[in-house]
Amino acid sequence: MMIPLRRAAAMAALLFLAGCSVLQPVPGPRTLPSTLPSTPSENTAVVALLQKSRSQSAAGQWEAASASLERALRIEPRNPALWQKLARVRLDQGDYPQAENLAAKSNSLAGSDQRLRAENWRIIGQSRSKRGDRAGAKAAFERAEGE
Amino acid sequence: MARRHKNRWKFLAVFVLAALLLAAAGTRYLDLAVRERFEGKRFAIPSQVYARALELYPGRKLSTSEMGAELALLGYHETSDAREPGTYRWRGASLEMVTRPVAFGDGRQEAMALRVEFSGSRLSGLFQRGDGKPLDLMRLDPPLIGGIYPGKNEDRVLVKLDQVPQHVIDALIAVEDRRFYTHYGVDPRGIARAIVATASGDGVQGASTLTQQLVKNFYLTADRTLRRKLTEMVMALLLEVHYSKQEILETYFNEVYLGQDGNRAIHGFGLASYFFFDKPLERIGVAEGALLVGMLKGPSQYSPRTQPKRALERRNLVLAQMAQTGSLSEEQLRSEQAAPLGVVSRPPRGTSPYPAFLQLVHRQLQRDYRDEDLRSEGLRIFTTLDPQVQRAAERALNSRLTLLEESRNMKSGLLQGALVVTGTQNAEVQAVVGGRDPRFEGFNRALDAQRPIGSLVKPVVYLTALQQSQRYTLVTRLDDSPLVVTQPGLDDWEPKNNDKEYHGEVPLRRALINSYNVATARLGLALGIPKVMENLRRLGIDRDLPGYASSMLGSNALSPIEVTQVYQTLASGGFRTPLSAIREVLSATGEPLQRYPLKVEQESEGAPVYLLTHALQDVVREGTARSLAEFLPAELAVAGKTGTTDDYRDSWFAGFTGDRLAVVWVGRDDNESTGLSGASGALGVWGEMMAGLDPEPLILPEPENIERVWIDPASGLRSKEGCRDAMELPFIVGSAPTESVPCGSESVGRKIKGLFERMFR
Repeated sequence: MMIPLRRAAAMAALLFLAGCSVLQPVPGPRTLPSTLPSTPSENTAVVALLQKSRSQSAAGQWEAASASLERALRIEPRNPALWQKLARVRLDQGDYPQAENLAAKSNSLAGSDQRLRAENWRIIGQSRSKRGDRAGAKAAFERAEGE
Repeated sequence: MARRHKNRWKFLAVFVLAALLLAAAGTRYLDLAVRERFEGKRFAIPSQVYARALELYPGRKLSTSEMGAELALLGYHETSDAREPGTYRWRGASLEMVTRPVAFGDGRQEAMALRVEFSGSRLSGLFQRGDGKPLDLMRLDPPLIGGIYPGKNEDRVLVKLDQVPQHVIDALIAVEDRRFYTHYGVDPRGIARAIVATASGDGVQGASTLTQQLVKNFYLTADRTLRRKLTEMVMALLLEVHYSKQEILETYFNEVYLGQDGNRAIHGFGLASYFFFDKPLERIGVAEGALLVGMLKGPSQYSPRTQPKRALERRNLVLAQMAQTGSLSEEQLRSEQAAPLGVVSRPPRGTSPYPAFLQLVHRQLQRDYRDEDLRSEGLRIFTTLDPQVQRAAERALNSRLTLLEESRNMKSGLLQGALVVTGTQNAEVQAVVGGRDPRFEGFNRALDAQRPIGSLVKPVVYLTALQQSQRYTLVTRLDDSPLVVTQPGLDDWEPKNNDKEYHGEVPLRRALINSYNVATARLGLALGIPKVMENLRRLGIDRDLPGYASSMLGSNALSPIEVTQVYQTLASGGFRTPLSAIREVLSATGEPLQRYPLKVEQESEGAPVYLLTHALQDVVREGTARSLAEFLPAELAVAGKTGTTDDYRDSWFAGFTGDRLAVVWVGRDDNESTGLSGASGALGVWGEMMAGLDPEPLILPEPENIERVWIDPASGLRSKEGCRDAMELPFIVGSAPTESVPCGSESVGRKIKGLFERMFR
C-alpha cells in the first residue's frame, strides 16, 4: 500500500513539475527594434565638442581635433555623425586607410540615414582616389549617388 | 741649531701643505661621494598613472553618491565655503566646488569654481559659480592611481616637490629647520650648541639642518662621533654649493625614514602616505601631514599605530608650531587639532589600489617606451580606468564567488576569477580584476591565465558560417546527430552535448542559442578548421593557435583579455579596435608626448555580425544564458555567450550591452573541477556587476543589406505575420528561404510537433 502511494506522490510531483515547465512563460515573438536614436546630437556637451573639433580642424590641429571627437564619442559612442567627423579628419590628415575604415564604421551605425551614408561614401571615394584607386573611387561615388 | 731650526720650518711647511692637500683631497672625496649619493636619488622620478578624468555635463548619468565617491578618490576636502581648489560643499542635491588646475594633452585647464546640480541619478545642471553661466562640459582632474617606479622591486614612492602639499612643506620647515631657506647647509647656532654640548660631555648632539639630516640619511650607521658630525657638516655645505634648496627639499622628502613594517623600512613621504593613510601624498590633509612630520623625531616612538596617544600629542605640537610661523590661522589650528589621526588600521598591500590594471598599462607602455624611461622620466600617463566600473567589478567578483562557495560547501577562497570590462565601441579598458584580492600584485589572471575557452568560441564558428550567406542563414538546418571524427595521429574525437542527447536536425540559431556541441563541431568541420581559426585570428588573436577539430568547441586556451579582444570586434559590429588602457602620455612638465588615437579596422562585413549578435541576444533571452534575467531586465537585450570546459574546470561568460563589454572567467588555480558551468558561475558575476552599472540597452542598427522575413520555426520556411508561431528574423538580402508554408493550415501532427517544440526549445 505504501509503495503505490509513494509512487503516486512521485507522479504528482512530476506532473506538477511538468506543469511548471509548461506554464513557464515562453518568450513571446520578438520584434526587431527600429534604428538608433537619430543624429545630430542634442547633447550640449557633444555639440560643444563638435564645435571645438571644427575650429581645431580649421587650424590644422588634427590630433587635437580628433581628441575632441574621441571625447564626444565617449559620451555618444554609437553616434554615426561623430564617427564620420573623425573619418573626415583622418582624410584631411592624409591617413586614408583610417578614413575609409572610420567612414565604414559610421555607415554601420547610420541605420536609415541616407544623407549620412552618402557622405560616408564620398569620404571613401575621395580617400580611394587620393590613394590612386580610380575604379574603387568611382564605385564609391556611385554608391554616394545611389543613397 | 739654526740649520735645525730651518729644517723644522721646512718640515712644518711641508706638513701644512700636505695637510691642506689631504684636506682638499678629503673634501674632494666627500664632494664626489655626496654628489654621487644625491644624483643617484634625484634623477629617477617615476611615471604617474591616472584614471580617466570624470567628464561633467548636463544629462550625464551620475548620482550624488557616485560624485561623492569621485571626490573622495580625488581627495577633495569638504569645507564651509569651498573657495580653494580641491574643496567642495554640498547644499542638498547641489554641489559647490573648485576644481584643481590640470594639464591635459589638449591644453591646460585652470581651476574653476562650479555649481553642479543633480536630479535623480543624473547630473542636471553645470554652472560657473559667481556669474552663474551655464557650462556645456567640464573635466575634473584625473585621480592618481599609481606609479611606475625605479627598480623593479624597490619599495618607494618617489614624489616631485610640486606634488608635496604646501602645508607639509610648511610643517617641516616650522618644526625641523626654520632657517632652511637662509642658511648654507649648516646653522652656526646649531654648531655652537653642538660644540658646547660635546665639550660639556653630554655627547654629540644639536639640531641638524634639513640638509644635514639628509646627509645623515645617506649613511645607514647612526654613530654619533664628532668626526661623523664634522663630515656631515662638510657634506651639507657641499650639497648646498651644488644644489638648490628645492632640490634638497625634494630629495629630503623622498629619503627620510618614517617607520617600519616588519623588516620593511618605510622611506620617504610618498610611501609613508600610502602606508599610514592609503592615499597619495598629494591628497593628504593638514593634520595628516603634521602627523608625518611629527614622526620624523622618532618613527617608532611616535608611531600612530602603536603609540596613538603620543603621536597625537606630537602632531598637535607640530600644528601649534605651524600656527606660530603663521602658516595656520588660529581657527585652522583648532579644527586641525581636533581632527582624528586618520590612519588606516592596516597598512595596504602595495601602493596602487588597481595593480592588475596597472600591469596592463605597463605592458602597453613597454611597446613604446624604454623601461628605464618609464621608471625615471616622471611621465604622466592618462589611462582609461573607470574607478566606478572597477569598484563594481571587484565587488561583484568577490561577492559572487563567496556566495558560490557557501552555497556549494566549498572551501572558502578555493574559487578564483578574473574580469575585464571595456567600452564596446572604442575598446577602452574600463576595469581589470586579476583575482579575488584586487590589491594583490602577483599573478594577474585577467592577463596571464590561459584557459580553454569552451563554447565562447562558438560565435566565431557561427560567424564564419553566416559570412557565407548563400549557404548559411539563421534558419539553416544543422545536423546534431552522433559524430565521430577521426584525425591522423590523434584519438578519435566524439563530441557530446551537455544534456547528453542528440537533437537531430536543428535550426542554426537554435544550435547556438542552446549551445549544441555536436551540431557546432559538424558545422566547423564543414566550414573548414583553418577558416574558423583564421577568423579567430582576424577578430583579435595575434598569435598562432593550433587548429584541431576540438578547437571548434574551444579547446584552445586564451586569457580573459584575449577573449575580450575577440568579443570587442563582435560588439562593435565587426570593426576591430585594439584594446587600449592609455589615452595619452605627457612629459613631467605637461607637454604632450604621445596620444593613442582611436583606430578601427573592419574585419567582417556588418551583416553577418548583425545576424550573429541577434542570435547572441536570443542566447540571453531564451538560451543557455537566460538566468541573466535574474539580474537584468529583458529590455536591455543583452548579447552573450556562456562557456564551460571539460569536467567543469572553467566557467566563462562574455557579453555586451549597448555600452559595455565584459568577459568573466571563474575557475581554480590548480585547474581542478569547480562544478560550475558558465551559467552557474561566471554569468552571475557578470550580471551582478552590470546590474550595478545601469547599462544601456543593446539596440542594433540594421545594416542596409538586411531584410526581415516571417519564418515558420517548425519548418524553417517562409510564413506570414500573424500566422501561428511565425517569428520575424533578419536575413541578408536574397538569402531568406523562398518556399512558404501556408498560414493556418496546420495539420494536427504539425500542431503537436509545434507544441513540443515550444515546450522544449
